[in-house]
Amino acid sequence: MRKKHSTLDFDQVVLKNVKLWNGQKFEDRETVCVGLVNNKFSFCNQEDLDSEKTKVLDCAGALVMPALFGLGIDFMEPLRDDVYTFNDGLDAMHRGGFFGGLYESAANPIDDPEKLSAAIDRLLKDAYYSKLKIRFLGAFSKDFGSDSLSEMMELAFGLDDEDADFKGVIGFGDGNAAIPHSRFLRLAMEYGKMTGKRFFFQPMDRTLRKSGCVHEGAYSDMLGMKGIPRIAETIAAYTVLETARFLKVPVHFKQVTCGETLDLVRNARKNGIDVTCDVNLYHLLFDDSCLETLSSAYHILPPIRSAADREALWKGIEDGTVNAISMNHTPVLRQDTEVNFEDSVPGALSLEVALPAIWNELSSRVGEARAIELLSTAPAKLACVDTPAYVPEIGGTANFVILAPNKPRKVLESDFAGHVCNSPLVGKELPSTIVGSYIHGVFHVN
Amino acid sequence: MSALQIKHLFGLQGVSRSDIRQILDTAKQFREVLERPVKKVPSLRGMTVVNLFFENSTRTRTSFELAEKRLSADTVNFTTASSSVKKGETLLDTLRNIESMKIDAVVVRHKGTGVPKFLAEHSNAFVVNAGDGAHEHPTQGLLDMLTIEEKLGTLEGKKVAIIGDIRHSRVARSNIWGMTTMGAHVTLCGPSTLVPRNTELLQYKELAGSVSWETDVKKAVADADAVIALRLQKERMDDALLPSMREYRNFFGITEEVLACCKDKVIIMHPGPINRGVELDSDIADGEHSVILNQVTNGVAVRMAVLFLLAGGRENA
Repeated sequence: MRKKHSTLDFDQVVLKNVKLWNGQKFEDRETVCVGLVNNKFSFCNQEDLDSEKTKVLDCAGALVMPALFGLGIDFMEPLRDDVYTFNDGLDAMHRGGFFGGLYESAANPIDDPEKLSAAIDRLLKDAYYSKLKIRFLGAFSKDFGSDSLSEMMELAFGLDDEDADFKGVIGFGDGNAAIPHSRFLRLAMEYGKMTGKRFFFQPMDRTLRKSGCVHEGAYSDMLGMKGIPRIAETIAAYTVLETARFLKVPVHFKQVTCGETLDLVRNARKNGIDVTCDVNLYHLLFDDSCLETLSSAYHILPPIRSAADREALWKGIEDGTVNAISMNHTPVLRQDTEVNFEDSVPGALSLEVALPAIWNELSSRVGEARAIELLSTAPAKLACVDTPAYVPEIGGTANFVILAPNKPRKVLESDFAGHVCNSPLVGKELPSTIVGSYIHGVFHVN
Repeated sequence: MSALQIKHLFGLQGVSRSDIRQILDTAKQFREVLERPVKKVPSLRGMTVVNLFFENSTRTRTSFELAEKRLSADTVNFTTASSSVKKGETLLDTLRNIESMKIDAVVVRHKGTGVPKFLAEHSNAFVVNAGDGAHEHPTQGLLDMLTIEEKLGTLEGKKVAIIGDIRHSRVARSNIWGMTTMGAHVTLCGPSTLVPRNTELLQYKELAGSVSWETDVKKAVADADAVIALRLQKERMDDALLPSMREYRNFFGITEEVLACCKDKVIIMHPGPINRGVELDSDIADGEHSVILNQVTNGVAVRMAVLFLLAGGRENA
């Protein structure tokens, strides 16, 4: 049976006993009110609310912070729409406290305007939750990985939709495909430069990856599993950066996994190249010692690397090299995970569990303001969502997530939307708990 | 039920010294049984063992089957060529179907690392790994250890050189874990494209000081008490891992010239099947130092011991 969406039919909410993020720090508030005022879901005074239609929630000192923005979301539909749908993905965003995300389908490359319109219809118009700020990446090649250019100009500027508050894709990327050969890369970026959009790459050299599925290191050696060396990433990253320097095209690296790539990013920036990057939630949480479990839950691409790499990523977060933390939410059918590691389909769900999994360590390492930036405003900015989603003042936009930071909770399969639960965090106790979220007027209580 | 600390045999990594000792000692007893006119004991009478081979195998499957029959178990052979796997059945469904037939033990070979563990997590039967990808082949490791003990008395303090395609060898990995646990020192030697790339291997604290690398085969074998030549898989040639068989033989093959660098009483081992004239010259494979056929005989004894002990080590062995 499909899991029920656990939203409550209240758009007017009074939160008691919270610590509200005021843009600088969390401050104690006895009461915070939100509701539809002047046709906008915003922070308001209690007298603005209809008391009979208001939900009151005692948050017991939980944090109220800006809702998150998810980079790298893919709901895989129509892989099996009886198992996971766009609505399930959007439900996951509410559960995890996300007000928006950057969508990039691996199953259905958005390589022409019709596909973009279809994706918009399904994610923004026909969906149960239709107000989330979803933005799209267009493919730069037809069908990902081909030698034919997609209609990049049409994708960037051709959307004629009165309901949409954007005119096309915010950038270009070929899903998680390895970077193309150098000539096509050059041509794609050269053509796409006319749009002024950023190119998004998961840096991976296909020949060095070959059939690798885990980090090439001590564990792959002793488990006899085919490894992906760090240079598969760095060589690809260097190729992209050189092309970006030559053509003066802005680029973004998705899911950087090792310190060497971050060094390339640092040097490129010194040389004036416009390059941004993100790291995957799970690459910050785990290292390749997890392979010893042989559990397919850790089958994530690019692979989870060594403890030293994980620490290098954290250092990149701390020194500002990393622009954002990405989610890379990927549902995988249960039967594709209930096999041995190498035969399993890679990918992990993350939206529902990201914040409670990482908040405590992230905020203690970089401070609360930077943690919020990495999870919310910075990824939104990369997706060209510049309108503030959270303004903590009366009349200000109210999209937030409520987190009890010191309330550990074990992750259950039922925490995930849809009929999948492929996450290495299932069964693990997270240090904090999401109490609920208020996103575009939809109040969700976990 | 198991008479060992382990409940299944997935590999030799993490298997205690006392468990390995018990397996080897029991195997020595079964080795004697194999010399009797009637080579059969009733230890597993009434038990059903399924041999699940998803990869081609003649030697290992035959050896297991013989071990099971010597223990009086009922055996069923399952190979992918004759199974529903070819019709798209998942690994888990295959296991569930077989288990519904009330089996007691599964011997499994599969191309994927970790398949034996995966099956054990979804089954009530005990599971023995007969080779999972390039991960481990624990009974081969045990039979190698039994052979060394048989010929040299003990593994403690012995030096073992493993030569060849170590990166793709599940035998090498089981030997590394098992032999170092029993006090031997292992030297790895092979072309740089066929040995583990990472000295990070020594992140495994258990291996620190017990494993070393050597690129010169003559130096690798110089102080070895046992030399294990690994089979070179010809498909590696297609992947640019080696330039030619000739170059491999000339630089890493066990030839008379290499043997001349060894100790006088060195034993030469090979998991089989041998590419004669590549990893091992024929004269050496058939020569006085070779214990390759002893390995084959010991394979049956070791597999009997493993099955017997995992089944609970019942009386009347």
